[in-house]
Amino acid sequence: MKFNADQITGIQPIIAGLERLGYILDQELATVVFLLLKLRKPLLVEGNAGIGKTELANMLARLLDTQLIRLQCYEGLDVNSAVYEWNYQKQLLGIRIQEGSNRSEEEKERHIFSEEYLLKRPLLQSISAIDQAPVLLIDEIDRTDEEFEAFLLELLSEFQITIPELGTVKARYIPYVVLTSNRTRELSDALRRRCLYHWVDYPSASKELAIVQKRFPDIEKKLAAQLVSFIQYLRAKKLQKTPGVSETLDWALSLMALGYRTLDVEAVERTLGCVLKSADDIRSVKEEGIASVLAGAS
Amino acid sequence: MKKTAQIETGLTDAIVGFAQFARRRGLNAGMEETFSALKTFDLGLFSDMPVFYYSLKSLFCTRREDIPLFDELFKIYWLSEEDNVRRRSEQKISGIQNIPQRHNSLMFWGMKNKEERDAEEYDSRTTTGANTVARLQKTDFSRVSEMDATLLETLAEKLWREMLRRLRRRRKKNARRGQVDLRRTLRASLQQGGEPVYLRFKNKKPRKLRLVLLLDVSGSMDKYSFFLLRFVWALQSHFEQVESFIFSTRLHRITELLKTGGLEKTLRLLSERTEDWSSGTRIGECLKTFNEEHARHILARSACTIVLSDGLDTGEAGVLASEVQKLRRRTKRLAWLNPLKGTAGYAPTARGMSEALPFVDHFHAAHNLESLMELEELLASI
Repeated sequence: MKFNADQITGIQPIIAGLERLGYILDQELATVVFLLLKLRKPLLVEGNAGIGKTELANMLARLLDTQLIRLQCYEGLDVNSAVYEWNYQKQLLGIRIQEGSNRSEEEKERHIFSEEYLLKRPLLQSISAIDQAPVLLIDEIDRTDEEFEAFLLELLSEFQITIPELGTVKARYIPYVVLTSNRTRELSDALRRRCLYHWVDYPSASKELAIVQKRFPDIEKKLAAQLVSFIQYLRAKKLQKTPGVSETLDWALSLMALGYRTLDVEAVERTLGCVLKSADDIRSVKEEGIASVLAGAS
Repeated sequence: MKKTAQIETGLTDAIVGFAQFARRRGLNAGMEETFSALKTFDLGLFSDMPVFYYSLKSLFCTRREDIPLFDELFKIYWLSEEDNVRRRSEQKISGIQNIPQRHNSLMFWGMKNKEERDAEEYDSRTTTGANTVARLQKTDFSRVSEMDATLLETLAEKLWREMLRRLRRRRKKNARRGQVDLRRTLRASLQQGGEPVYLRFKNKKPRKLRLVLLLDVSGSMDKYSFFLLRFVWALQSHFEQVESFIFSTRLHRITELLKTGGLEKTLRLLSERTEDWSSGTRIGECLKTFNEEHARHILARSACTIVLSDGLDTGEAGVLASEVQKLRRRTKRLAWLNPLKGTAGYAPTARGMSEALPFVDHFHAAHNLESLMELEELLASI
């Protein structure tokens, strides 16, 4: 059954559709996704690392059976690597090749600044889709600087880009935009105002258990329950790096690969590195005593 | 849900009313958001209470901090039992805002009435000469007389502005020429018929100064914290990426407050908000809060940290040392400015300071203008 964004009338098809793909979401997130599909406002998802923000966009693209275009933000990201760039090497060759021809200077220039020599970067790609609206994921927007954010703001309201040598490209299909942020920097109010907002928290124990079982249907029930309650216990502690859902899944996979059917002291000791990524945290948990943590968590 | 009992137009009105209600309480519920909310209503999504709540939440909240306020307003507006919802909520909210104001020395300095200040300004203007300026720059903040205070403020603002402008303009010398800028090289080459005879280069973008400021506002710092807060404010308003905190027994983030309100407004709000303003210091505990709640986000982008404190810690021994160590590991550079260091014969022997010192990269005085101006060197080297 093909999922059609224009025809859905409630949030149930979204929950069901994404669950079929292995992504578990609650009513709140489903509502926000529904609004994203209907109102076509960009969705800003904030939350701690490793709780499935990026995955949401991935799954959304699969649900809509459309292309996912991803722009990974980093410090110093500039318009050239986000929007478009000319293929300079090819242009240089192009000039060489044209040397013998009797075209005028203007014609030559027009030739090497034609679409043939244009390298489309994610943002330009996202607005030049020809058959259906893609999902545009702008990942970790907080890592870019304010200038880029301002540029993005303009793009998100107009959905058009002007290339001086070529003209203006306007989106035929407005992309579904998902922005994620880890809050390393406060985003501008202007950008926030333009977006739907959703804060993702760590999942509850029952939801996390459902996620683990969805991802690894073969996992022993007991093991899954034990490791989820262990993780939940760790999250309640004040650690330097709180484990996210991705850590839970990594851990489940490692434990299964090592053939453990229940979680015991030895199993935890051998695999604690999957969950805790800081020497201080590992030390503090070991000091507390893994046996007592296990007892306290279950 | 009370309002669903009403006919549809009633609900439309109620949504518009809620948007106004929320906007007045500081949420982002402008025209566009209201319009989106109504559109959502048309989509037939609001028959279900949670979905209704989630929709409005995603539309009216723009950051995590908005969520508790939204929840509160939502509860008041939509879930109230009484008919006269609006009026009741008005009372509730105004009740929250009427917090008694506290006054202390800081308040008096910051907010004299206008006439008084004018008189003083006149006074000081008549006596200002090069000598006064030089003297004031060296005066310990704790010994500034009421009369000099305003003059010092003006002078400080001027000097800081100049210093920060210099800092912003400073570019590190680039020994090597940067990468070849293909775009401009190619454009230029067209003049030579496509032969890239002259290469164009691009330099690296200058890195922005990223700072985290932690200001001690405890009782022992009382005399200094007023000027130091001004300093914090000056840094905050001249650089884009500065995060400011104040602490005494607890830690408060004041970045937004300084950005949105002016300095005066900030001072007033601070005296209302901080229950423990001018009380004992628990530096270790506060740094712990910072490490646990803020460091991961804020220091993720290689920021430098400046602590402004006298290091007189009344917390448990050992906490400060381990927290400063943790902080040092996360931050690019850690500076500690201590007003007491300017006092003749001062040695960092107080337990707090001696615990922190091994992990501090720069240990400076901060008792007068001159010592703060020396920060320019430090900031430029970052």
